[in-house]
Amino acid sequence: MKSNPRALDRNPVGQESGPGFDGRILQLVKSVPELRAIESGQVDAVVDPATGKAFLLPDAQRALREQARVRSLLALSSDWCWEQDEHYRFVSLSGTTPGNSAPGYEGIIGELLWDLPFDNVQEVDWDAHQRRLQWRATFRDLELRRTDRAGGVRWVSISGEPTFDEQDQFMGYRGTMRDITLRKQSEFLAQKPIRLACDTLEALAIQVCVLDSFGTVIMANKRSGAFAAGTRGIGAGVPEGANYLGVCDRARGNERADGVAIAAGIRQVIAGESPLFRHEYVCNSPSGRCWFNLTVTPFPGDGATRVVVLRENVTERKRVDGAARAVVSRKKAAERERGERVRGLDHRVAKGRFIANSLLAALPRKDTQDLHAGLEPVTLTCGEVLYEPGEPIRHVYFPNDCLVSLLATVEGRDALEVGLVGREGMVGVSLALGMDVSSVRALVQRTGTAMRMDAAGFRRELRKSLPLQRELYRYTHAKLAQARQTAACNRFHVVEARLARSLLMARDRVGSNQFLLTQEFLADMLGVRRVAVTKAAGTLQHRKLISYTRGKIRILDRKGLKAASCGCYEAVKDL
Amino acid sequence: MRKADPGGGEMSRTRTKRTASGPAVATIVMLRLYIASDAPNSVRAVANLVAICNEHLQDKFKLEIIDVLETPLRAVTDGILVTPSLARVSPSPMVKVIGDLGDKRTVLHALGIGESIE
Repeated sequence: MKSNPRALDRNPVGQESGPGFDGRILQLVKSVPELRAIESGQVDAVVDPATGKAFLLPDAQRALREQARVRSLLALSSDWCWEQDEHYRFVSLSGTTPGNSAPGYEGIIGELLWDLPFDNVQEVDWDAHQRRLQWRATFRDLELRRTDRAGGVRWVSISGEPTFDEQDQFMGYRGTMRDITLRKQSEFLAQKPIRLACDTLEALAIQVCVLDSFGTVIMANKRSGAFAAGTRGIGAGVPEGANYLGVCDRARGNERADGVAIAAGIRQVIAGESPLFRHEYVCNSPSGRCWFNLTVTPFPGDGATRVVVLRENVTERKRVDGAARAVVSRKKAAERERGERVRGLDHRVAKGRFIANSLLAALPRKDTQDLHAGLEPVTLTCGEVLYEPGEPIRHVYFPNDCLVSLLATVEGRDALEVGLVGREGMVGVSLALGMDVSSVRALVQRTGTAMRMDAAGFRRELRKSLPLQRELYRYTHAKLAQARQTAACNRFHVVEARLARSLLMARDRVGSNQFLLTQEFLADMLGVRRVAVTKAAGTLQHRKLISYTRGKIRILDRKGLKAASCGCYEAVKDL
Repeated sequence: MRKADPGGGEMSRTRTKRTASGPAVATIVMLRLYIASDAPNSVRAVANLVAICNEHLQDKFKLEIIDVLETPLRAVTDGILVTPSLARVSPSPMVKVIGDLGDKRTVLHALGIGESIE
């Protein structure tokens, strides 16, 4: 079964025929079965034992000659030729070029094509192929794939046509087979970059559409389709074949303006009037607001006019940007506010308009234009003495955040606090009562600012302003009541409760839980010796109501401190 | 597993009647087929013989195909005068079948498994 196109040349009697030829056969073949076989045309060749050579019968000669001729032609275009009998079984397979056996196809003889181990054809396709064979149709370029013994993939292309004998009886099929493995490989390699590009396009998170000059989508990546289900918005999931411009033109409701703008932009790019069109728009989807960025650019190349539409969902970026912007704007607003407050404070303090003092703040603004004009801001330092008893009062003070203690002195030495003035009041009340000499020592206990006014100006303003008078009388009354209560308190209550009361009062006047008060001052305040203050402060500290270190007092538990104080604090607090 | 032959029964020359497979042949059947290259009767003989052997002998046969145009002396030695001819070498005695082996019954009988048919 080897390929042997030159078999005829090796046949010593190949060209012989005629009566002499027949006689020679009759000489050689004498037995009946062999003669009968020759007569019925089932014999191809006869062997001459005398010469040790075989010679072909005329029919076989013709057939092989014809075969050789056909094969030499086929060799130009195919690797093998094959024959099938009337049952479509392979009866021969031979290479068309010498030495070209059919590697891997040795077992093909006697087999049916669809029983061979080709793995790329489905059962249903084989059924269709068999139907075509029954119609005696010619088949061309049936491409079949198999895996060879080494595990490599081989491809063959097979074509065939039916053969008929002289009586037009169907004899079977014959045809050619080509090894197309190399072509398939190169096709695969050639398609690789294209496939890579296609895969990349599909993997993009951006919807890509290519439109022709009429706006019809001629290509869209799958992302476009995938988005259709998830989100709405113009341009979502416009399928291939649909008209993008039409979709934009048909946009209704909130999307109408965007649709018109996008359609106009695409038309501009198609017309070549613009090399780029960008549009950002919002749409409301069930999952919330979505931002889209649409970019239209001309399709590169010299062919027909086409444009590329990229539609990117930028919601996530927008949200991140928005959050970042919100943080920045909040920061800026806070800075601006703080800056304004600081600047405003300085400004108002400088112009004498900063009214942290609640006594001044309680006055109606329109009545106090002149009063404010006469006020000047000053800084009072801890330890500074504003008045001494018996000295004339030159200024009155409205503390903002400083604390001034009023002390009654006995024989110029021992002192007892009889009043504490903070932001709620005024130092120099005697002046309001018509006395221009101080009866107490006014000592600054906490550094801070205050508004100051000279005595003459104050008297003038007092005469003019009824609200000021009323406020000062109310304040003086409260002060007196406080002094009375304190006097009683100092007589009847224990040091610890009195200390708690004093600290609470100081807190109210300073407006802070933290302030500096020396033990000495506290001893003066309470009219006790320093040891007693130390002891009482220690007790409060132990109960975790305050912390007290080197004159630095911090109120830790205001409620607890209130409970620890005597009722005197509550009695005078609201006056 | 062979599908139904679409062209079965069309031709009288090579009837391939579906019959039950014969009993398992214990010994290996040695066959020699003498052919003349790709001459029509020869290629048919090969296809017919392979089909019959695959169906009835499965892997219990050994087939040697001898091209008398290439090695005519083999045929002379074996006493073969015309091709295609099939010779059963073993088990003995040697049996010969002449022709394109289209008559399946004759071939099976020659192979020694013809008794099982019918």
